[in-house]
Order: sequence, then C-alpha cells, then structure tokens
Amino acid sequence: MITDIITDGLLAAVAAIGFGAISHPPRRAFTYIAVLAAAGHALRYTLMHYGGMDIATASFCASMTIGLLALWFGRLSHCPLTVLYIPALLPMIPGMYAYKSVYALVKLMQHLGDYTAAELYINQFFVNATVTVSVVFLLAGGATLVIFLFPKKAYSMTRRKTWTAPRREQPLAK
Amino acid sequence: MKTNEELKEITGFIAEYATCLLGSGVHTSRVLRNSSRIGEAFGLRIHMTTLSKTIVLTVFDDADTGSVNTEVLSIPALPISFEYNSELSALSWEAYDTHMPLAELKARYREIIARPKMSPYRILVLVGLANGAFCRLFGGSWGAVAAVVLATLLGMFIRQQMQKRHYNHFIVFMVSAFAASMFASLTLIPGWTPNIAIGTSVLFLIPGVPLINGIIDILEGHTVTGTSRLIQATLLVICIATGLAVPLLLFMKNLL
Repeated sequence: MITDIITDGLLAAVAAIGFGAISHPPRRAFTYIAVLAAAGHALRYTLMHYGGMDIATASFCASMTIGLLALWFGRLSHCPLTVLYIPALLPMIPGMYAYKSVYALVKLMQHLGDYTAAELYINQFFVNATVTVSVVFLLAGGATLVIFLFPKKAYSMTRRKTWTAPRREQPLAK
Repeated sequence: MKTNEELKEITGFIAEYATCLLGSGVHTSRVLRNSSRIGEAFGLRIHMTTLSKTIVLTVFDDADTGSVNTEVLSIPALPISFEYNSELSALSWEAYDTHMPLAELKARYREIIARPKMSPYRILVLVGLANGAFCRLFGGSWGAVAAVVLATLLGMFIRQQMQKRHYNHFIVFMVSAFAASMFASLTLIPGWTPNIAIGTSVLFLIPGVPLINGIIDILEGHTVTGTSRLIQATLLVICIATGLAVPLLLFMKNLL
C-alpha cells in the first residue's frame, strides 16, 4: 500500500516536470512543482483506492491541497501561485477518460446502422466526456479557491522584502 | 509634471508589457493587477479592456495634468512562458516599491525577455519521460511505457520542428497526434496494453495551461477572455482527437 502510493507520487512528479517544461517555468520552480504534483496525485490515489472516493471529489480535495501548499511554496520561491500549481495539476487531467470519449465517438460512427450499438457508444461517450470536463473544472476550481480565500497573500508572492527601502528619494517623480 | 510624450511612452510600455503577458499564457486578472501596479508606480490610473486578440488600454494622469491617453494593441501569439509570468510580475512589484525610472524599467523588461530558454532537446527528453510516467500511472505495461516514450519523442520532435517553421497550430497538433498514436500502435502485441499506450501517447499535446487559465478567468469574472481560451483549447483537443482517430480506425478490430 505505502509503496503503491509512493510510486504513484514519483510518477506524477516526473510527469509534472516534463509537461511543465513545455511551458518554460523558471528554473527555481521545478523542485516545488515536482513536490506539489507528487503530493496531489498521491493524495488523490489514496482517496480513490483506500478511501472509496470518486475521481471528481478526490481531484477536488487534491487540487485544494496543491493550492494550499503552493501558497507556502510561493513564499519560499517568489513565484506566482499559478506558476506552481498549473504544472502540478497537469498530471491529474484525466487523459484516459478523454481518450475513451474519442474512442466511443469513433466507434459510434462505425455503428450508425445498428441502433442498440449506437446507443451503447453514445452512452460511453457521454459518461467519459462528463467525467473529463467535471474533473478538469474541479481541478482548476479547487486550486483557484485558495486564491479567493487568501487574496492578499496570493497576490504578493513575487514581492521581495529587500525592495521595501525605495532606491530614490523623491517618489513618483520621473 | 509629465509631458504628453512621457505619458504616451508610459502607455506604450504598459500596453507592450500587458500584451506580452496575455500572449504568453498568464490569466487575465494577474495581467490587470500587474499593469495597474506599474501605472501606480508612475502615479497613473489604468483602465484596461481585454478581448481575445486585442487590448484597449487607457491611462489617466489624474494627479498631474489630467490628460488621458489610450492605446489599442493586438495580443501576439507567444509560446506559453511561466518564466515571463513570474519574472514580469516580480518586475511590476519592483517598479511599485522602488519607483525606478521608465528607462530602467524598459531595460529590465528587455533583459527578462531576452533570457535564454531551456534547450528544445532537453524539453524533448523531459516530455518523453513524463508521458512514459503518465502511461505507467494509467496502468500500462512496461512495454507500453517504452513505446509511449518513443512515440512521444517522435510526436514532440515533429511538433517542435513544425512550430519552428510556423505552420498553423491546428495542423501541427493533428500531425503530431497522428505520428505519436501511429507509433504507439506498434504495441498491438497481446498483453502489451495497446489501448492505454495509444491513449496516452497523445496526452503530451493536451493544452492543459489554456484549459486551466480559461477556467480561472471565468471564475474571476473575465468571461470573454476565459471563454475564448477554452474555445481555443477545445479546438486543439478536437485536432488531437482527429489525429488519434486514424490509428483507431485502422486497427479497430485488434483493439477489441
């Protein structure tokens, strides 16, 4: 059980680093992204496999956790919250459900003459597409909820303390 | 005291700064906050309207001369960059806290834009490993993982080369999805979980950042930009599905 959870976290960390790298994050953010992704995905895995939770609720809990941890990591790394949590959420996007919707759609087109089969595939399409859309929405929503809960903190992540002494004497002059 | 030329120059800079951020995948409310912060650093009030491909920026010099300057600028299509997101946000705070002159602010901005990016080959390798890990997460066999890594390297390489030559991005996504999923179909060996391999091989293309940004924008009330991001992302997903449909149609019987 423990090894399963740890493996899940490690794989998610590798996935987050790779998918994050496409979007050019700052170098210093990589470690934090990996830890966030591992924690989030492992939590979702635990909730789903040992807590009996469905994928949508578990994703929401995981993305809230990622958002809260990002609040702390953002302080440490001076990165905006979204820079940390968007790459960490990417491995949780339900790719297999998205694939199954496409698969069902292709199958549907092959069985237009056979009403029973067509009904089966349209059901499969709707179930899988609904899961995909709901999970993606809850992932983004859960992490963004943290910004709504702590707006002041979330908006000043990139402000550095060392700047507080103004360099010039007269403010606002050009 | 600001002359009209100075006001124009500041407006021009803020418009360029804001369109650069919007083009490189920063959600709208952050762009608005950062831009008004820079405006405040010069004692100016900012109003900005963001549309899917254009911004309208008005700068008010309330405290000083009372003059107003408006600029309309289109948003460039830049690759997504979280580095710009965090460094340019930090720059806005620095401008706010230190009141640096415009010339210095512009120099700092150019310096951040000119910073070297991660080499495309390193990204290629990282993406390959990532998609392999993803395949394992979905329960693929090790044979499937190997096939997905190679398929991703191929698909991502094609995507990078086509993007370098500025092909239409819908075509880029279709061709890359086709190449990756065709390669992954090599796993049609019994016991190699071909369904999972073919399904995962195209997932590196999923436009996750615009999808999440679109939802964030809508949740924060920027419904127009949010919806347009979501529509663009959905179109890309449809392109991926089109590329993926080819091997599915060809090998449908074996997948059952």
